[in-house]
Amino acid sequence: MSSKRPTIYVAGVGIVSPLGTGVDATLVALRNNSPAIAPLHVFSVQQQPPLPVGQVDIADVGSGLPRTHRLAIASAKQAMVGYDCIPDAVIVGSTTGGISRTEKLLAEKSQDATLYKYHGLGTVAEEIGKELHCTGELLSFSTACSSGTVAISMACKMLEAGDAEWVLAGGADSLCLLTYYGFHSLQLVDKKGSRPFDVSREGMSVAEGSAFLLLSTVKPEHSHGVVLGSGLTCDAHHAAAPHPEGTGAEHAMQKAMDDAGVTADDVDYINLHGTGTPENDLAESKAVRRLFDFPPPLSSIKGLSGHGLAASGAIEAVVSTICLENDFLPANGGCEEADPACGIVPLVTPVSQPVAAILSNSFGFGGNNACLLLADTEKESVQEEVDKAPLSIVGKACITGAGHTMDSLGRFFTLESMAGTLETKTVAEELPPRAIRRMKRFSQMALALAAAAQKDSGLEQSPHAVFMGSGWGALSETYDFLENLQDTNEQFPSPIDFVGSVHNSAAGQIAIHHGATGPNLTSSGGDYSFEQALLATEAFLGEKTRYNTAFLLAADESHSPLSPLLDVSSQLSGVAADGGGSFYLCRKAIPGKVSIRSCFYGCAGEKGIEEMIRSLGGREDIRNKCGMILAGIPAARTQVGEQQLDQFMQETDLDVPVIHYRKFTGEFSSASAVATVMAAQLLESGQIPAGKFVMVLGFGHTLTAMELALQ
Amino acid sequence: MDELTAQIKDKLIEILNLTDVTPEDIDENAQLVGGELGIDSIDVLEMVVMVEKDYGVVINNKEIGEKVFSTLKNLVDFIRENSPEVS
Repeated sequence: MSSKRPTIYVAGVGIVSPLGTGVDATLVALRNNSPAIAPLHVFSVQQQPPLPVGQVDIADVGSGLPRTHRLAIASAKQAMVGYDCIPDAVIVGSTTGGISRTEKLLAEKSQDATLYKYHGLGTVAEEIGKELHCTGELLSFSTACSSGTVAISMACKMLEAGDAEWVLAGGADSLCLLTYYGFHSLQLVDKKGSRPFDVSREGMSVAEGSAFLLLSTVKPEHSHGVVLGSGLTCDAHHAAAPHPEGTGAEHAMQKAMDDAGVTADDVDYINLHGTGTPENDLAESKAVRRLFDFPPPLSSIKGLSGHGLAASGAIEAVVSTICLENDFLPANGGCEEADPACGIVPLVTPVSQPVAAILSNSFGFGGNNACLLLADTEKESVQEEVDKAPLSIVGKACITGAGHTMDSLGRFFTLESMAGTLETKTVAEELPPRAIRRMKRFSQMALALAAAAQKDSGLEQSPHAVFMGSGWGALSETYDFLENLQDTNEQFPSPIDFVGSVHNSAAGQIAIHHGATGPNLTSSGGDYSFEQALLATEAFLGEKTRYNTAFLLAADESHSPLSPLLDVSSQLSGVAADGGGSFYLCRKAIPGKVSIRSCFYGCAGEKGIEEMIRSLGGREDIRNKCGMILAGIPAARTQVGEQQLDQFMQETDLDVPVIHYRKFTGEFSSASAVATVMAAQLLESGQIPAGKFVMVLGFGHTLTAMELALQ
Repeated sequence: MDELTAQIKDKLIEILNLTDVTPEDIDENAQLVGGELGIDSIDVLEMVVMVEKDYGVVINNKEIGEKVFSTLKNLVDFIRENSPEVS
């Protein structure tokens, strides 16, 4: 069965970058072709002279929000100009979140946890949501420098599936010590400023910025263009360096074109990722040359804007719409003599010429590749009926303070607490020492979880894709990097810690160790990160595509002193706890296996519980099918969470066992992943009445519902 | 094995977390990067930091870096020749 594929219109755009604020200023800057890269001045550094960066002129006072949040809100509001509607969802790509503030607080040795409340990446989407009164999905993806493009791709999937009509998606990152010194420690910064594809290029210019696109399946009065397709892949090759032949990049570009239903001949312009590092530009060129016998005009704008990291893909998507609307192509700033080794010649001056279809590339650490195909007008196309095959669990694993899977579940079945922190040595006992020598607790835990889920499946073939959630990411590496920076007067930051500090470092390692070259997404939405990863799995894992198997997991590490400062629930519990849960999933019906489905994800507004009940099929349906509830109420939200649960039970008039799973797992963000493993085990071991489901519900400022059932 | 060589072997094992390697396992003349130890470009950068921090020797040139880190012996010799802290 096929049907007309909905067109995804770009109804609004917002951009705040070193090139300027707003579309008009950005177009002027691109026409002027003058690099907006200058020595760092937005904060002071001890190592002089300051390196050239791309910085945004935005006031540091006022809202009380960290810089990334303010950049994000500024461009999000621009994108909404002219619209009274409230987006159904907000999707943000970010790598920095509130780290710039955390850096200052840590340097001052502040112990006041309330001051760290904006650290989490998810708070960027939450603040935009508040600003725009959005009560739908507020999602956050952190896949390093492809984050913004991944966020836009996720929005497209939700729109195509009919899950939303209006989605605001983009990216935001601010300059901070972590990224400023991190890329420097990797010797990836060009002291002369970024000069992508130049024969003498020496690296990138770290930058900041934000951009958002209001995307809709409803044709707006004024469309800025359409998103025809997207393509996500993973190199599964190296933690930081691109695959030298650019194979992952090539596949992502090809997938974006296939998804859009266009061929290489249809592409009028390629907005290159082009960071200016010797390795990226060479690998990207090779990929382009393999796909395009005669490449169309192409350029990277990062020699003008710098590299806005998670924001860059969104910035360049907005720039692509500017190009489509103005029949304009920007130059590849900074490149004076094209590198013959690259074999492509980027535009040296801006050009005015008709442009109807643009391929925009974003690549990041962890071999994370994301490409978009944008066009000026809609294209008639059909799509297969939306995939209804369930996500079947063929393998599962968990880690808690009580130990690996069976030790943890055994404790649960005797109604004892599993809360605690398993020794790192024991977490990684099944992993080869050489494979994990550069990883600290978080990544080791994630890798152990993936390996255990695969082992449990009994399958030799590894999954194609990785969908991971984490509330806080790699705390050890982040803390060690910043502490080392401070201890050495900012002279000797650790490159290994920097590479390991990115949120998607663990998912990238899983891809490398399992050869998972499909989509690789890491979500970070506090206590609901696992649920966000499940939404991404549902969006990207198709039955009929190459990528029909995946790891779905979430993990968080307990860290002293960071966990009690960042996670109020952890602080309130007074017991250090961490762990995670993982699944090996297949997108097909497998009788006898447990299936998992996300039924609801939204803000806890006035009608939150009502909407949640409706999404679960209504009162009667819930009463007929629900056999047990596993309820997650973070300690920091006890009061409101209990009220929400009471309301849910009253309104459904359910009489089933309700287990407060955090009483067993302890308080950590990925506890719901462990609870989901518990739910699957309950079903598999026949402890739930035949035909009944287990619901894993999340309460607090967000409401979530997942449903597990034996097929 | 002279003192500086032994010291640098210990440091490499520590900073690169080569928990399954003993100092005796490291052949001073064997290929260091891309060899049996599994050392890659990120490890090289971590070693660059260590060499500067502990021995006051700056390596900020790719060609020199490639030569210096080709074998452990070359690294030790380079530090010995250039470090104000090693006599």
